Amino acid sequence: MNNISYLIYIISFVVGSTAGLVLSYKKYTAPFVTKNIDVVALILAIIGWVLAINSELISALVSPVITITVGIFLIAMVLGMRPGYGRYETVIGFAISALIWVGTVLI
Amino acid sequence: MNLMTNILLNVIIAFLIGSLLFGLQRKIMARIQGRPGPPIIQHLLHTLKFFIKESAFPYTAAMPFYIAITAMLSMIWVAAVIVGPVTGGSLLLIFGIYAVHKIVEHNAGSSSGSPYGKLSCVRAVYSAAAEVPLFAVLVIIYFKTGTMNITSLINYQAVHGPLLYAIPLAALMFFILILSKAPYSPFAITKGKDIVSGYETEHFGLLRGYLMMSESIAWYMLLWVFLTVFLGPISIPVYLIGMVVMSSIIAFINATTPLLNPNHSIMMQVTFAFVGIVGSFALLMI
Repeated sequence: MNNISYLIYIISFVVGSTAGLVLSYKKYTAPFVTKNIDVVALILAIIGWVLAINSELISALVSPVITITVGIFLIAMVLGMRPGYGRYETVIGFAISALIWVGTVLI
Repeated sequence: MNLMTNILLNVIIAFLIGSLLFGLQRKIMARIQGRPGPPIIQHLLHTLKFFIKESAFPYTAAMPFYIAITAMLSMIWVAAVIVGPVTGGSLLLIFGIYAVHKIVEHNAGSSSGSPYGKLSCVRAVYSAAAEVPLFAVLVIIYFKTGTMNITSLINYQAVHGPLLYAIPLAALMFFILILSKAPYSPFAITKGKDIVSGYETEHFGLLRGYLMMSESIAWYMLLWVFLTVFLGPISIPVYLIGMVVMSSIIAFINATTPLLNPNHSIMMQVTFAFVGIVGSFALLMI
């Protein structure tokens, strides 16, 4: 069972990356030069990282396998955008999620 | 779980993770070299792409060996997954599989009839002279633990702690061996860009897809063996973190070092093997 859930996570990452790559090439026709933060990607990254790392917070409502799978899909969508895009959003999403994890688990 | 399901599951995981780790390596190398680099899933997409491309066969190819060699490479690494994560069998079998991998590199190059393949074929034999001694790490593990069974090694480490601390030079030897199998590695003389793609140069379409798939599984398996043999009983997330960390370190080495010429590559590997074997036995005797 454990192996199957990890296979689901990996497939979720692959599908999310592919979707992110395809959609970002449609959205951005130019290479990464202006270095702006994409608000939609930022929201997806924050939701994704929070779901993946802090899945225990809502484990009473939804199974962690589902939240982690959705989280990894959203993370991969932002991380897998065309080269350059999505990296600031990923770092911010991870930082916010890590802060929530430290606040709820360690403190 | 049913044995066949378990095998299938582990092979798919090995292929996907191996491909993603290769993609991660290329990304890290690109960032170190100041380039944006391809997406992490590029290597996986590249592999899958070859399965839907037209296969062409060179006029000079030695049939049916030219085709059979790709099937053989796939089979040996699937066998490695069965011996390793599925059954926890003997390290000697993994050594045997690695030795066959070197033979496959040799024969894939020679069977194509291409001059680049033939140069790679010669280099495969040449590099085997250095990589097989590096695999002598197994002897050191046996002298330390008294077993070569992977399950027994995990149990040994559960009691005595990770072998990484007990035989660090052996771990270094195995790390050099893994580094040798990485694309763009200073020791990757069989696939050096001076000979285009080495033994893979004349394998197109479906055949190249199988070669790339097997290499991804091989990469996963080498990292899995290292983590299992030197760190002992670890959970799946620790395996994943360990593989990402090792691939990142190797990417850093690859990005900052040139491809060595065959003579220097072999001599450096042999030096590591010599220091590792002599040093490890010295440490065991103290």
